[in-house]
Amino acid sequence: QSKQAMQVGTAHSDPNPNHIYFNSRGIWMTYIIFILIAHFIILSIPFISVGLAWTLTCQVHNFITYLWLHWEKGAPFEPLDQGESRTLTHWEQLDDGVQFTANKKFLLVVPTVVFLLATFYSRYDQIHFIANALSLVVLSIAPKLPMFYRVRLFGINKW
Amino acid sequence: MLIFVADADVSWEFSDLIEAIYSAPTYHLVFEGCLILFIVGLLFQHSFLPSKRRGGSGDRLSKAEEDQLIAEWQPEPLVSGDPADEALLASYQRCATSQVGRSVTYSDGRTLVNFATGNFLDFIGEARIRDRALASLRHYGVGSCGPRGFYGTMDVHLHLEEQLAKFYGCEEAVLYSYGFSTIASAIPSYAKRHDIIFADERCCFAIQQGLEASRSKIIRFRHNDTAHLEELLQRQAEHDRRNPKKARVTRKFIVVEGLYVNCGDICPLGELVKLKYKYKVRLFVEESASLGTLGATGRGICEEAGVSVQDVDLIAAGIENALATQGGFVVGTKYVVDHQRLSGLGYCFSASLPPMLAAAASEALTMVDEMRGERTARLKSVSDRLHQRLLAELDNLWSVEGAPMSPIKHLRLHRCTGENSLPALEAACAAAADAGLLLTVARYVAQDLGQPAQPSIRLSVNCNHSDSEIGSLLDFLKSYATGLAKK
Repeated sequence: QSKQAMQVGTAHSDPNPNHIYFNSRGIWMTYIIFILIAHFIILSIPFISVGLAWTLTCQVHNFITYLWLHWEKGAPFEPLDQGESRTLTHWEQLDDGVQFTANKKFLLVVPTVVFLLATFYSRYDQIHFIANALSLVVLSIAPKLPMFYRVRLFGINKW
Repeated sequence: MLIFVADADVSWEFSDLIEAIYSAPTYHLVFEGCLILFIVGLLFQHSFLPSKRRGGSGDRLSKAEEDQLIAEWQPEPLVSGDPADEALLASYQRCATSQVGRSVTYSDGRTLVNFATGNFLDFIGEARIRDRALASLRHYGVGSCGPRGFYGTMDVHLHLEEQLAKFYGCEEAVLYSYGFSTIASAIPSYAKRHDIIFADERCCFAIQQGLEASRSKIIRFRHNDTAHLEELLQRQAEHDRRNPKKARVTRKFIVVEGLYVNCGDICPLGELVKLKYKYKVRLFVEESASLGTLGATGRGICEEAGVSVQDVDLIAAGIENALATQGGFVVGTKYVVDHQRLSGLGYCFSASLPPMLAAAASEALTMVDEMRGERTARLKSVSDRLHQRLLAELDNLWSVEGAPMSPIKHLRLHRCTGENSLPALEAACAAAADAGLLLTVARYVAQDLGQPAQPSIRLSVNCNHSDSEIGSLLDFLKSYATGLAKK
């Protein structure tokens, strides 16, 4: 029995719900709560220090949001846009490709805040700083800039 | 320095933490300062939609260019005043007072023998179909008043779909309410952007609309030229070898018609199936004109070419020709065809076929099944006889395009009789009406890429055309062309 692609509802005019779901009520808070839960889970590991826990939170957050927003392309359902979003990452689909919307500014600010907290709680240690700053800039800040809109470096992840 | 393990010896007083900021390395504070400034700067940016320079079309015009275009614009007249349209407009004045069957009566009292419409199996006026339609009308009313997903499905639709699937020997059929939109909806529900479709260059306009709606890359191959198609497939295979990641997400299709309405030719389905398996391409066949007219029992091009119906991925057909009702259907495997119940736009977003017409189609299909190809064979023999006589008697006056057994033939004036222009052919059709024959010039929408270089008269043969009717057609064609040649 083959798997059928899920068809999305057609009750609104947007052919791809990926464009607009991040405007839903409470979704910003949900995102922050997810980060807090992940942080508490990491904090509960008994033998690591607070600084390491924060660094781990920062790294894991950047890595997972990179996969979610900038690596996976298309949609898990069958949108009605005649294949336009098949080669677009989720970041490029959000808000229909418009840059600097409120959602996108929020998603830029959150990893920065997590980074600042991580460096604060790791007491500005050099190795933690390098790790956090690298993952922040490469995984979280750079792909969100308009100059990287629809850019695929070295053909990686293009198809 | 390295704080990886539990830090019992470090103080977590808030004042100590704040002091840690003052003793932080400079590069760190500089980095954080720049980062905060950068992010705050980005927060003050206005939102904008990036121009689609990369990966799309759509250049924006500057304000000056826009203003200039608006100032220069001159409205075109609503009515073109083109003299070539006069004949077309005049034909709309013609009003039929009988059914448009094998013969038609017009309001001026003339009865003409119909060589113009696709009533191939002569089902128009068939009493059995008419009675079934009337009974259905009394039971259901006229319209279905809803799309299939919204109270527009009746038992006649389901019954007709089952019947169609069984007729073809396929797993499932999907019924559409309009023949044109059948293939125009089927193609874009499978082919999307970044896919590739190889289409015959003489495909009908409905297929072209489907190709355009799919947003795929369209590669047209020369009409019925499998060598050219193989060359194009080979070229595509080399592209794929160079970029295997892209090839893995690219779907490829071949779209052909069983019997081409624009030429009267039959497609070489056997060779196409071989190419399909060699190059791993999906094959879609449009069978509006070949349903009921090809194959030993009227089951279309697959039966005619001796190809198993399982080898064709999708068969789409309008039932507006041989079955003499309205609508269309798609048959194939359940896996392929069921997808259209949610993504075939003509299925989801149009009212379903009126139950009266679905019942009539069902009855017509039963008749085709019961007759076991009798009318189909008769149609083929009439078409063939007409073709042979055209070649034998009128070879130097009219040129005929189409397969000998095809009920659709295209006639063009030969060079020696005069110029084969649209007005000349329209005049011939008008003269034919005076001689008791209904002929039509094949008409195309201006954007139709499948139209031929030369206009033509499209003949549609009926299985019950008698020898005398064929004879009178040939006599007219001969006398008219000879009259032209003399001038």
